[in-house]
Amino acid sequence: MVRPLITAGVDIGSLSTEAVVLDNGRMVCYSICDTGSFPRRAGERALEEALSRAGYSHEALSYTVATGYGRNLVSFANKTVTEISCHARGARIVDPSIELVIDIGGQDSKVILLDPEGTILEFTLNDRCAAGTGRFLEKMATILGTDVEGLSRMGLSSDPVTISSTCAVFAESEAISLLASEIPAGRIAAGIHQSVADRISSMVRRVGVRSRALFCGGVAKSGAMKQALEKSTAMSIIVPDQPQIIGALGAAFHSYDFAVKNS
Amino acid sequence: MPITEPLFNDQFAGAPTKRLLDFLLRKRQSGVRGVGLYCSYAPFELIRAMGAVPITLCAYSNKTIAAAEAVLPSNLCPLIKSSYGFITTQTCPFFELSEAVIAETTCDGKKKMFELISNIKPMHVMDLPQMPDEPEAVESWTRMIRKAQRFLEKTFSCGIDDDAIEERIRETNARNRMMSDFFDYAARVPAVLSWSEMYDVIALANVMSAEELSAMLNPIFATLRSRCDRGEFHGVPGAPRVLVSGCPINGDSAKVFRLIEEAGGTVVALDSCSGMKLFSLRIDEATGDPVTALAKAYLTIPCSCMTPNVRRFQAISVLIERYKPDAVVDVILQACHSYNIESHRIREQVKSRHSLPFLKIETDYSDSDTGRIRLRLEALLEQVSGTGPSGPA
Repeated sequence: MVRPLITAGVDIGSLSTEAVVLDNGRMVCYSICDTGSFPRRAGERALEEALSRAGYSHEALSYTVATGYGRNLVSFANKTVTEISCHARGARIVDPSIELVIDIGGQDSKVILLDPEGTILEFTLNDRCAAGTGRFLEKMATILGTDVEGLSRMGLSSDPVTISSTCAVFAESEAISLLASEIPAGRIAAGIHQSVADRISSMVRRVGVRSRALFCGGVAKSGAMKQALEKSTAMSIIVPDQPQIIGALGAAFHSYDFAVKNS
Repeated sequence: MPITEPLFNDQFAGAPTKRLLDFLLRKRQSGVRGVGLYCSYAPFELIRAMGAVPITLCAYSNKTIAAAEAVLPSNLCPLIKSSYGFITTQTCPFFELSEAVIAETTCDGKKKMFELISNIKPMHVMDLPQMPDEPEAVESWTRMIRKAQRFLEKTFSCGIDDDAIEERIRETNARNRMMSDFFDYAARVPAVLSWSEMYDVIALANVMSAEELSAMLNPIFATLRSRCDRGEFHGVPGAPRVLVSGCPINGDSAKVFRLIEEAGGTVVALDSCSGMKLFSLRIDEATGDPVTALAKAYLTIPCSCMTPNVRRFQAISVLIERYKPDAVVDVILQACHSYNIESHRIREQVKSRHSLPFLKIETDYSDSDTGRIRLRLEALLEQVSGTGPSGPA
């Protein structure tokens, strides 16, 4: 009988925190929670939740990898790995032949190019600027009196109006004036998604276009975003079942590798 | 085995600027004249030929940027803003020690900034040709060096003859050979020198005569040899070796070097004007026309203000062969368009010809971006050490 090897990965992002637990390199449970103001606690809570759902105690855990912007704040991790390497790894777990990964999270977005073996060739990040992130969509949704999900529904079947501002603050006033000039909210919603997609698309062109890309991160749950990315990049955009946990999944598999190496 | 003995055993441990200032203060107190410089294109040999000491001026602190932004646009290179801020706040002791300043038309930001400080001390701006391979370039730069010579002769009421310049050319070559021997210790695998030790030596090497440099380096070479004998090296065992290229880095932008070390890497090669670049200069000797020899040599400096800047691409390959890095980091200071654009072709060469991971970092002198730089560097070094997708799925 194989001795159980329990490993975990925790991805502490700016908006949400995810944990994934593996038993001998097979996912058994995951959890997702809001990061809130205390990333360290969010990391502990997410791990706790995933473990208890799987019916494991902390003691059963052989190895834990933390990733995400709060990766250095938690004390339970045996090792930290960047979200770049974790998203790359997680993406290959859910789609073993994928060579391009697009992650749009709360406060940054990244595009990672892999070779056919899954080794990272190139990556680019957009941070320090809200445009092209989940926060931007949240902001814009508020203006249209909805949330990110509602914004996606509104934008899905409409012809996008052009949002020319690349700055979140100016895009906000642009959206307000579009509303004032009685442009249908659906067209504005579609335009908002298109402006984010165009930013991501220039990041994609920077690292290299492929026929398919895996789209992950919280924003990947937005159907309108997927549509806009397909239009802007002319690639087929694949959204995994749980796009939010790809980073944590990758962290859990890195964790598994380290545990195997150490044993 | 970690390093046990520092390169310098003096009261300036951890304060290389104070060591440099002390050296220059003594010089000036003993009656040696001082000429301030901002850039590698300034012909050091002219200054030495008149018996003066070249003084590198302050340009690397975030502290003076707020003052500079009262006049300069905020979206400008931090090196230019900092330099200007040092002058307006009168906080650059090196400027105070300088009796005149030599400047060059390298980039737009610098040349317009020089206009703003031109009336504080005697200043001479040299018009630098930017297409170094055009047949007129050497002729024009030769003339500009002669003009700088006349400026110095007039300002300091002295004469500089060609024999003295020729002598200083030999001195530069000797100095640069010594520095090459010094850098050999960084080229060793594992490296027995750290970036900060290289900076400590470079700061003084820039302003020292060959004789002074030799006197300083002899005990340092002894220390380095005993490090090798004892099996001591810098950084953690197996640390990825990093070549850093791009804009000049020092002071507050040296955060990039610290972050590379914190991410587990070792900086082994410094490809910029604040690093090794100027020491690879070789000037033709005994040509009978030392100023033309100077012009020819200085035009080979691979600065991104040159177009096309073919020598940078040759130089980086030479550095990669010599220092055997595992990754290349190109540091671009905010709003330095020429290095920023050139970075694309450097990336292509590093990746295709040398198959090395490459990372461009755009930064300024603030520490607001340390988190984002750390993430990129850690991801880069994970590419080297293989934390990428592998193993059973």
